Amino acid sequence: MTSAKEKYQNRTEILQGTLDMLILQVLHWGPRHGYALSKVIRTNSGEILKVDTGSLYPALHRLERKGWIAAEWKASELGPRLRIYRLTKSGRKQLVVERSRWAQLTEAIEGILNPARQESES
Amino acid sequence: MRFPFWWRKRRNEELSEEIQGHLELAARENMESGLAPRDAQTAARHEFGSIALAEEVTRDMWGGRWFEDLLQDVRYSLRVLRKSPSFTAVAVLTLALGIGANTAIFSLVDCLVLRPLHIKRPGEVVYLTAARKGNVPGTPVSYPEFTDIQKQTANVFSDLSAVGMFASDGLTVDGETQSMWPCFVAGDFFDVVGIQPALGRLIRPSEGSIPGADPVVVLSYAYWQSRFNHDPGVIGKKASMNGVPVTIIGVVPAGFHGFSSLMDFQGYIPLGMAAALKDVPKDFFASRDNRAIGLVASLRADVTLQQAQAALNVVARRLSQQYPTTDGRMSLRVLHLGPSSMVFDPTHPETLSFVSAAFLLLAASVLVVACLNIANLFLVRAVARQREMAMRAALGATRTRLVRQLLTESLLLALFGCGAGLVLGLGGSRAFRSIPLHTSFPIILDFRFDWRVFAYALAAAVLTGVLVGIVPALRTARGDINEILHEGGRTSTAGGYRLRSALVSAQVGGALMLLIVAGLFVRSLEKAQHTNLGFDPNHVLNLTIDPHEAGYNEAQAREFFSTVLDRTRSLPGVQSASLAASVPMAYGGGSGAELKIDGYQPPKAQGTPAAGYNAVSSGYFGTMRIVLLRGRAIRDSDSQSSQHVAVIDQTMAERYWRGQDPIGRHFSTKDDPSHPIEVIGIAKNAVENTIFSPDQPFFYVSFSQFYQPTATFQLRSTAGPEALAPEVTGLIRSLEPAMPVFDVQPMTTALDTLNGFLLFRLAATLAASLGILGLILAVVGVYGVISYAASQRTHEIGIRLAMGAQRLQILKMIFGQGLLVIGAGVLAGILAATVMARLVDNLLFGVSPGDPLTYVTASALLAIIALFGCYIPARRAMRVDPMVALRYD
Repeated sequence: MTSAKEKYQNRTEILQGTLDMLILQVLHWGPRHGYALSKVIRTNSGEILKVDTGSLYPALHRLERKGWIAAEWKASELGPRLRIYRLTKSGRKQLVVERSRWAQLTEAIEGILNPARQESES
Repeated sequence: MRFPFWWRKRRNEELSEEIQGHLELAARENMESGLAPRDAQTAARHEFGSIALAEEVTRDMWGGRWFEDLLQDVRYSLRVLRKSPSFTAVAVLTLALGIGANTAIFSLVDCLVLRPLHIKRPGEVVYLTAARKGNVPGTPVSYPEFTDIQKQTANVFSDLSAVGMFASDGLTVDGETQSMWPCFVAGDFFDVVGIQPALGRLIRPSEGSIPGADPVVVLSYAYWQSRFNHDPGVIGKKASMNGVPVTIIGVVPAGFHGFSSLMDFQGYIPLGMAAALKDVPKDFFASRDNRAIGLVASLRADVTLQQAQAALNVVARRLSQQYPTTDGRMSLRVLHLGPSSMVFDPTHPETLSFVSAAFLLLAASVLVVACLNIANLFLVRAVARQREMAMRAALGATRTRLVRQLLTESLLLALFGCGAGLVLGLGGSRAFRSIPLHTSFPIILDFRFDWRVFAYALAAAVLTGVLVGIVPALRTARGDINEILHEGGRTSTAGGYRLRSALVSAQVGGALMLLIVAGLFVRSLEKAQHTNLGFDPNHVLNLTIDPHEAGYNEAQAREFFSTVLDRTRSLPGVQSASLAASVPMAYGGGSGAELKIDGYQPPKAQGTPAAGYNAVSSGYFGTMRIVLLRGRAIRDSDSQSSQHVAVIDQTMAERYWRGQDPIGRHFSTKDDPSHPIEVIGIAKNAVENTIFSPDQPFFYVSFSQFYQPTATFQLRSTAGPEALAPEVTGLIRSLEPAMPVFDVQPMTTALDTLNGFLLFRLAATLAASLGILGLILAVVGVYGVISYAASQRTHEIGIRLAMGAQRLQILKMIFGQGLLVIGAGVLAGILAATVMARLVDNLLFGVSPGDPLTYVTASALLAIIALFGCYIPARRAMRVDPMVALRYD
């Protein structure tokens, strides 16, 4: 039985590694609330990466529980209070880790996609 | 982990607010790009996707989800249980009976075996038992032996102390005398037990070693409470004990009962004072074979029981070599001190644990029968709930989640059962506590519920909940959703019926096992009560006095005894009267002595000749109706100054004077070799000391020649013996107002002791209660399953009737079903009973564990009642109206 819930959870899983990194990176630029975060990711990726809200909020709350980001309620001129997330100290460290891991990953994938270059180098 | 309600509630609200904010911002942007407000909102929501799902997945990230699930399961289960109140009530009641029986029995075991003594380091405190050449092991030691052992074991024991109990004493304070059961101590007794005084001071290690010195007394907390009403002014008070001046110096802390949690010593006195207070032999402190004290010690911190035993072996060997005549072949054994280890037979410390285990096993069987009952109920319900489960699965509940919820349900039931069971158990243990022990000896049966009892009940409940719930839960969750949802109302239950029948058979088997064991215990009680006692306890009133407690010396006491005896003999309604040092089957177990018999050489394998004895006055044989076979009885003329005489019993005559005429022959006791005793008569065997060792040789001596400070009068009355009580006590009081009179009771009551019938009665009562519980549960089970099966077959029965089947055939059909189930159960029960009966064989008296009468009676009783349980549903099935049945569903 594959329920709608499981579908969401699967997508969360696929995106997990990168989504976490993206969130941390965007928050590195400055505190933001959930909606702004998803918008930044969407626009900065040239509308290619669209963050699923069913994954965004679980990811935010997970990162918060791990202590990499912190949240704070702020009143906004728009009406409702907004939950503003910011990067913590350990979040900054985690971002470095995630970025280097990502670099390794892309390098490895690059190596597979262009084997000739690798061979010529060795 | 954070999971208080308010925290989760706030988090939930905040999450909604956060998502609301998200939607709001999205809608605003949509509006800015030109959409109408309404469309903008719809688009934002559409883009977002399922809010509920996003919220739920987010909540999962918080942790503590299991707790929320648990709460949900508990809430749901409570609702389900409330919706079927009769099911819930039956299940809870059944469990309560099972758990109640278990906790009640466990509270007994807890008190007798498990609960540690109220001492500082219970694990390090030990007691020693000694055995000598040919002697029964477990006998006490003499004072010189104690000091030798104390000196030679300082490397393994940090403290070693001697304890002695004699009888009650009279403590006179401010002119008022009341009886007190003290414990005589020597050495570092209070260091061994490691307690601090509640008031004043305790007896010092330096006190107690000199005969007659250190006239001090320490009171027990309860005695201080009840007699002196918590008055601290009692400390330092001059008082007198049996007429000897003493000073009250302290009070032990509440809850401290000495070296046993069953005996309630009311005071503590230095052992040396026994020489002044008690009628101990003059050489008590010097003679190596005057043995009356027990040894309690505390192990040094780094010494194990094995090391202590090894050290004691060396000491015992050394003493045997040093004193071959008195301590030849001596052996010493060290054992952990338990709550009752010094009260019951110390040579078999495991006996009590064994009895406890046996009864716990019986109680556990009741719980098993109860569990089977509930498992059956659950299975029946599982079938009825198949559709509900399928529906919930279709709505997205995972299988684990369903099983979890069903288990929550059974566990909740079990916990309710546990609560109700504890209440029943408390009632049960209250009933045990009120068992009359018929003695002034201060025994406390404190079956209170401590944490161990609660833990036991809870463990039993949780185990029950899981065991009962797991099979139906798995079966239910296994069901194929589609099949169940699409199937009509009638479900196929053939497999389920087989399982349920097996469960009922097991129930019948368990119940039958309990009934048979109960039957064996009841028969054994019957046998014990109908043993040929050799005397006639009916129409005899006992009463005990100790003139020393009123400050009398020996001469005054002798005078008093004979005056009372003469005066009671002339009371109207008194047929005859006598007095004796001990009552048959009394708590002290009577007296025994090692003997030296002229012209008798004991066979190699046997030890020193020994026999039990009682010191009696004239008229004893007549009053007790003990048949004198030859010679004469004890007479008043057998006085202090004349030749010591004895009437021996048949066993003694046959053992020590086989093929000879004992009358006119002489023997003497090891304690008093200077007074040869002449055999003047032979009496028929009578059960004097204990019912447990009937073939022990026994003899009667003259009370005047073997004077004891405490004596019990026997008055044979023409009518009911109780009627004499006020008159006789009045007579004694008129002679001496300060004289304490105790144990005024008919002889038949006095026999109901631990050495007499009490244990048999207790065992029979317990076993019978458990058997009846099992029987009730089994019958409920049989009735339930057969009537359910019959109701499931209503449709089929309707067709059969419509096709022309005879009603009697229907009755036979349903009845046959029950017969099969019960028959299988009876077979299983008989098998289980033979195993269990062999286990309790040692506890039975005069009944073989395979006693055919018990097996047949119990099986027949159970089968008849169970078949009746089948008959009701069978008759109902027979009366089914085919028209109604066919329209059914």
